[in-house]
Amino acid sequence: MQINRDMNILVVDDFSTMRRIVKNLLKELGFHKFDEADDGATAWPMVQSGKYDFIVSDWNMPEMTGIDLLRHVRADENLKETPFLLITAEAKRSQILEAAQAGVDGYIVKPFTAATLNGKIHKIFERVAEKQAEKQNG
Amino acid sequence: MAFSTQIDTEAVKALLRALEENEQDKAVALLDELTSIRESELYQQVSLLTQNLHKTLDQLDDNSLLLQAKHDIPDVTERLNYVISTTEDASSKTLESAEKVLNITDSLEQMTQGLPENERAEYSQLLSEVNTELTEIMLTQSFQDLTGQVLNRVVLIISSLEQSLIHLIDQSCHDYDSIPERVENRDEQQASEMKGIGPNVTQKSKSDTAQSQDDVDDLLGELGL
Repeated sequence: MQINRDMNILVVDDFSTMRRIVKNLLKELGFHKFDEADDGATAWPMVQSGKYDFIVSDWNMPEMTGIDLLRHVRADENLKETPFLLITAEAKRSQILEAAQAGVDGYIVKPFTAATLNGKIHKIFERVAEKQAEKQNG
Repeated sequence: MAFSTQIDTEAVKALLRALEENEQDKAVALLDELTSIRESELYQQVSLLTQNLHKTLDQLDDNSLLLQAKHDIPDVTERLNYVISTTEDASSKTLESAEKVLNITDSLEQMTQGLPENERAEYSQLLSEVNTELTEIMLTQSFQDLTGQVLNRVVLIISSLEQSLIHLIDQSCHDYDSIPERVENRDEQQASEMKGIGPNVTQKSKSDTAQSQDDVDDLLGELGL
């Protein structure tokens, strides 16, 4: 499956090192359009602009958590379909289930590898393509 | 509360008289009497201090000091040890990778031997720049030595503080072993999980967690994700 490498990606993490690592890995995978936010609270107005095709976010951030950002996105009629990947150190089963209920598309626990990120992105966009095909056919 | 520390003048006069009259046995007995009063006053003071300490510890909300001594201090030590070992592993992985790349640049350098002089010089220059950057990466890893030393020292200070607190708790007639577990109710637990609790690095916090990405994938797979 062909993934659009020109898509706009928003990387949200309060640690600049982590944002850099995620961006570099995404670059290695061929993506090149990124913006960054250091908290859910700063990310949300950016997301509302409607610019982003994919959001990669941490969970634990001081002002607004990644799970809250996800809930905001899913609750907005115009944004609710935006693919959302959580990359987080939060690994309680209850948290993973909560994220699934909130509508997360992928969940990666830190520390992670480039192969895991690649695999998840492929899986997410395969599902996006399937959904679009279903819509067109339906 | 103040203790009477006044020395009985009559008792001292009696002691002086006994000494002047060279009545050694009597003098010793009087002196013993005087010191025993002082000793018992000292004992009362220490016992009052202990009672106060016990009361103070009892009055603390939810025995917070006791719970902190029993649970939070060991928790802090466990977390610091996680930081020490994680940074050590990361540094060592980075060094291994840098060393591997250095070996590759050595091989590349060898391979340039057969090239025409101008090309060889150009490759050599680039390879030397790569080596300089790799050396920088390796030297930067020395942060681990410095931060590790600082953290080891912090762990020692905390352990010593822990020992002092345990001693204090003992002295105040509390039983360290019978300090209860910290109980977090379900709502509080859920609220803190939603806020994010960070990596589960302590033995206690590891319960009910996904141990690997495969675990996460299995769990989500069951939900059709």
